[in-house]
Amino acid sequence: MDWMPNIFRRHNLYKDLAEEMRLHLEERTEQFIREGMSRAQAEQAARRAFGNSTLLEETSREVWQWPTLESIWADVRYALRQLSKSPGFAVTVILTMALGIGANTAIFTLVHAILIKSLPVSDPKSLYRIGDKDDCCLTDGLQNDNGDFDLFSYTLYQHLRDSTPEFEQLAAIQAGQNQISVRRGSNADQIEPSEFVSGNYFSTFGVGAFAGRALTEEDDKAGAAPAVVMSYQAWQSDYAGDPSVVGGTFYLQSQPVTVVGIAPSGFFGDRINASPPAFWIPLNAEPLLRRESSILRQPYQSWLYALGRIRPGVAVGPLQQKISASLRQWLLTQDFYTHDGGAQKIPKLHVVLTPGGAGIQNLQQETGRKLYLLLLISALVLLVACANVANLLLARGTKRRRETSMRMALGAARTRLIRQMLTESLLLGCLGGVAGLAVACAGTRIILALAFPDSPGSVIHATPSLPVLGFALLLSLITGIVFGIVPAWITSHGDPADALRGVNRSAGDRASLPQKSLIIFQAALSMVLLTGAGLLTRSLGKMEHQDFGLRTTNRYVVHLDPASAGYKPEKLQALNLELERQFAAIPGVETVGLALFSPLDGHPSGFTVFVPGKPAAGQFDDNEALIDRVSPQFFDAVGQPILRGRSFTQDDSATSPFVTVVNQAFVKKFFPGEDPIGRRFGSYDKEDVGAYEIVGIVADAKYTHPRDPAEPMFFRPLSQWQHNLMDPTAVSVETQSHFINSIILSFHGQPRDLDKTVRHTLASVDPNLTVVDLHSLDDQMTGNFNQERLVGRMTTLFGLLTLVLASVGLYGLTSYQVNQRTKEIGVRMALGARRSSVLLLVMRGGLLLVALGIAVGVPVALLGARLIADQLYGLKSYDPFSLSVSVVVLLAAAVIAVCIPARRAASIEPTRAIRVE
Amino acid sequence: MMILESLRRQPAHGYALVQHIQQRSNNLLQVEEGSLYPALQRLLKAKLVKAEWGVSSTNRRVRTYQITAAGLRHLEQEISSFERMFEGIALVLNPGKTTAS
Repeated sequence: MDWMPNIFRRHNLYKDLAEEMRLHLEERTEQFIREGMSRAQAEQAARRAFGNSTLLEETSREVWQWPTLESIWADVRYALRQLSKSPGFAVTVILTMALGIGANTAIFTLVHAILIKSLPVSDPKSLYRIGDKDDCCLTDGLQNDNGDFDLFSYTLYQHLRDSTPEFEQLAAIQAGQNQISVRRGSNADQIEPSEFVSGNYFSTFGVGAFAGRALTEEDDKAGAAPAVVMSYQAWQSDYAGDPSVVGGTFYLQSQPVTVVGIAPSGFFGDRINASPPAFWIPLNAEPLLRRESSILRQPYQSWLYALGRIRPGVAVGPLQQKISASLRQWLLTQDFYTHDGGAQKIPKLHVVLTPGGAGIQNLQQETGRKLYLLLLISALVLLVACANVANLLLARGTKRRRETSMRMALGAARTRLIRQMLTESLLLGCLGGVAGLAVACAGTRIILALAFPDSPGSVIHATPSLPVLGFALLLSLITGIVFGIVPAWITSHGDPADALRGVNRSAGDRASLPQKSLIIFQAALSMVLLTGAGLLTRSLGKMEHQDFGLRTTNRYVVHLDPASAGYKPEKLQALNLELERQFAAIPGVETVGLALFSPLDGHPSGFTVFVPGKPAAGQFDDNEALIDRVSPQFFDAVGQPILRGRSFTQDDSATSPFVTVVNQAFVKKFFPGEDPIGRRFGSYDKEDVGAYEIVGIVADAKYTHPRDPAEPMFFRPLSQWQHNLMDPTAVSVETQSHFINSIILSFHGQPRDLDKTVRHTLASVDPNLTVVDLHSLDDQMTGNFNQERLVGRMTTLFGLLTLVLASVGLYGLTSYQVNQRTKEIGVRMALGARRSSVLLLVMRGGLLLVALGIAVGVPVALLGARLIADQLYGLKSYDPFSLSVSVVVLLAAAVIAVCIPARRAASIEPTRAIRVE
Repeated sequence: MMILESLRRQPAHGYALVQHIQQRSNNLLQVEEGSLYPALQRLLKAKLVKAEWGVSSTNRRVRTYQITAAGLRHLEQEISSFERMFEGIALVLNPGKTTAS
């Protein structure tokens, strides 16, 4: 460590050295004079004999230095000095880089949090999920046409758990999520998300408890005292970290349960989603909370994911084979799956094991491609920003060429000069990176707010984590090199002799070609991004403004959950009537509709349809239709027109014949070319093949996916009930379908104080009923496009950013050229050129570059559009409209950017221009 | 090595060292005079020589270099290893002579 004192001594050492060398030269000169030379000759000869004194002095000094580090430090100081001399330049570069790096870092924060990070659990690598799809949330059939199995019933889960010792632990996790009512003491009910999990859930993940204890196998036995674990977030935000919560009694769905512990602070559950569960509840408490709708003991109701920790040394491939075989073997023993030709389908069935370290990857599957698309787009923005900065550096390099040439003439090595210039650009990159982090932080917050508008306490944090910081640093360094290397190379290749000649007067402009190519490159990228933004925005518009088959103006949806308020099935009829009556009494309400579910509202269930007289369809043939159970006014309330026949009426009661209304898609699928009115069909196996009579046909409307065409649907009145069913699954399903989840209110005009009125009305029907949520039908429809809107807006934002950067670049280059050519323009004007022709001359140069950029950009944009074709709705990837709008926008921006310096050129006074220099 | 050897005979300043080495080698070694200085700095840093400002016999302000004890040891090692290498080269170039001796 002897360099420490050297730092202090060094100054003296350098002084000694310089002095010594000077004396050496002096002595040699005198020697030559003694040998008979003139003083001038002698001095020259002495210097020749000595060699390159600057270089030698520098090498001598380096002996004392911490070799590279010190010279880098010197370079950094030099660079800082240079930058502080031109603050305008420095600020422009840093801001440009901050935007580029910030955009990338913000997107990367999301990519990292969603796609890369593992769950905060112990040894995530040994976790595997049985299943690979995002199927949800409940099915009684065989899943997926290719036989891929993801969802399991409790019975099947137990079978798999007990037959695979390869899993150290295998946990079952509810595929969907419940909104449950929570009450503590005499406080008002709150609605909180919750998840049913097996007792070994926490031990499978290797997660303990922050306070109290985690769930155990004992908690998940039939008849065990109901125990639940609360999330740390809910504990903090709803109960302010009150320690008495642990061990306290809470009423979930009006049932008393004990909160035995708080989950660790970082643990948000088994998957990333907008509203992580506030409670984890043992599976065996499900019958208690869901009562009549319980499906725990229904062996054919699949509603659980399975995720487990495999023992060390177990090979995944053979295990997957074994579980698939075990699954098929179990299914073959179940009459439910084998009758009606189901047995032939079973050999195809299988499971796929997927790494479970990141939990259930539903969000990942949903957003993965979109996120990578955004990352790609932000990388393009960064490239444009780099091109801009490179252009600025080139222009600056040209100005500094005199200085560089001088330094080379004085003996500076070329590598040394390049290194110095690279240090400067790296420094700019890093400063840009730091500013970019601030941009990223703010940007991530905005993106999160756009992506998950309803969830303030999301599991993704905008504050940059260590990997994100690393990413930003790496990005800064790479960009520093990317935008620095070409200008450094070009500038350092100036001829030293130029310095003496006065390079600034020469007309030759070496940096011009690379500068022009950069502009073309920028214009091309802008073209690509603008086209992409145009496509995505138009597709979003088409999706949002498509004909859903409904009317949404002044219509609102109230979600509620009668089961959680403790309603028994036999009370439902009275409740529904009372709800209809009370809500219809609200001033301004036109119609009130009740429904099992409202349009584009979660996952409706599919039912098998049996039509008498049709060839006996196997149970697993494609003869499914969606069912909704509604009140008489429902179709009016959502604005779905009855095309033929009638809607339900008050006369369709429990005692009258069973009736049904079907949509157009249903008619097309089951009664093609026939008159369906008066025809009959059933939905519970063969025992009631012709149970319902079709009394009306309603127009198609979208209930499931906004992208897909309307699916075949049939509607049944809430007031009718099939009490003749024998099969326990059918009985359970029939029961569940009578619990409404939505009330749709149609108003004459804009309602006032809606929130208060609705809460008040609901409480007046029954104080135990709580509003799960309330929003306009419009919001419910467009809420399905949050991700599309995010991607569309981000792409537009990035497209505009690129456009601005490219325009600024073009403006910069043109003004630079105008400056360089001041004298030439002056001469032209002195020789009689008109101002308009000067204007044209300058503008032609700039616009030609943009035109070239467009020529390059159009094919690339077409290619890029192909890549995102599957993200588009109602649009082909070749969309002349988006393309031409992009061309026009780009040209308009270019005209503005070029016009300003061109006008300045045209206003040059010839006499003054020639006198310049 | 040459610098150390010269300094072992007599402390000297840079100019004198150049002169000395050029004369001793009968002007066979023509190098840039300045290249002496980086070498001297390396020796200084390794503490094989030490330097002092003084006045020369010709009444000039000079910085005189002197070999240190460590320098002497280093020089001996260098010379012996150089001699061994030289011997080796000689043996390879004149194999006959070796077998004779």
